[in-house]
Amino acid sequence: MRRKKSLDNEIDLVAFISLLSVCICFLLLTAVWIQIGSMNVKQAVGGQAAEGKKNPALWTLVQSDGSLSLRLEDAPKKVSRKFARMRVEAIDGKPNFEQLRTQVAELKKVLPALTTALIQPKKATAYEDIIGMMDLFKQEGLSDLGVAPL
Amino acid sequence: MLDQSIIEESSLRSPLAEASTLKPKDGGRKRLIVVTLMLTSLVDAFSILVVYLLMSFASNGEILYINKDTELPTAQQTDVLERNTIVKIEEGKLFVENEEVQQKGLVAKLLEVRKSWAQTHKEETAQESEPALTIQADRRTKYEVLNSVVLASSHAGFSDIHFAVLQK
Repeated sequence: MRRKKSLDNEIDLVAFISLLSVCICFLLLTAVWIQIGSMNVKQAVGGQAAEGKKNPALWTLVQSDGSLSLRLEDAPKKVSRKFARMRVEAIDGKPNFEQLRTQVAELKKVLPALTTALIQPKKATAYEDIIGMMDLFKQEGLSDLGVAPL
Repeated sequence: MLDQSIIEESSLRSPLAEASTLKPKDGGRKRLIVVTLMLTSLVDAFSILVVYLLMSFASNGEILYINKDTELPTAQQTDVLERNTIVKIEEGKLFVENEEVQQKGLVAKLLEVRKSWAQTHKEETAQESEPALTIQADRRTKYEVLNSVVLASSHAGFSDIHFAVLQK
């Protein structure tokens, strides 16, 4: 009488583990650990075409000491009058981003159509401060950004 | 059978039992402690790692070549970085697609790039698609340096400027 052949087969895991180890090594070596994105802007001056109705725009003038002067353009007179002079003081030569956020949020509440923000830096303004302002504006819903040349 | 197998060589003796002064085990019959590795859980862990690494594998990671001394600024609200003409500012020097360019010749170089872009993207040009420029600079760079690139891109007709940033 023939004995029944066992049907329990075992997979050789050693080769599989070797393959997985090589895969992990390769992927770890080629992995990109930093995520690079981009901050997209339109050219500030001349970018806004004269197409009939102009959209309100928030101009941010960066002063040499790091303080910011905010100015509204093409906004309804009532709002313009209320927010005629907005100033954000500097902290250690850098813009006070928290104060700027508060002012922009307040402005956005009064003028929801405000989606354009233009930054006018000075020669000595640091690139990271400009990006910081752009990031803040985007967070507050001002998606059309621009930087004015000197 | 175990004595002849390979397991005997890899088996571990209990060091505590061998060191016992009252009843040392090494003199008498050897007690074998065979250690087996649970391979199934190891394979599971490896599989999860491979899947995670494959998912985080970025195919667009080679768009920018960043110098070790260059620190990009950080931002939260970023867009996906696309492959555009790259203008790099490193130690006050300007590079267009890794080719060093003098400040005076930047507009001419960008015009040249724009011209070649228009030739290779004829269909897109018909759809009013505009070429964009990616600026890569250190976070401490003064706007005085950046301004020349912004002005030159404006003169060369690049309406969209993308600033390369690190995602927070």
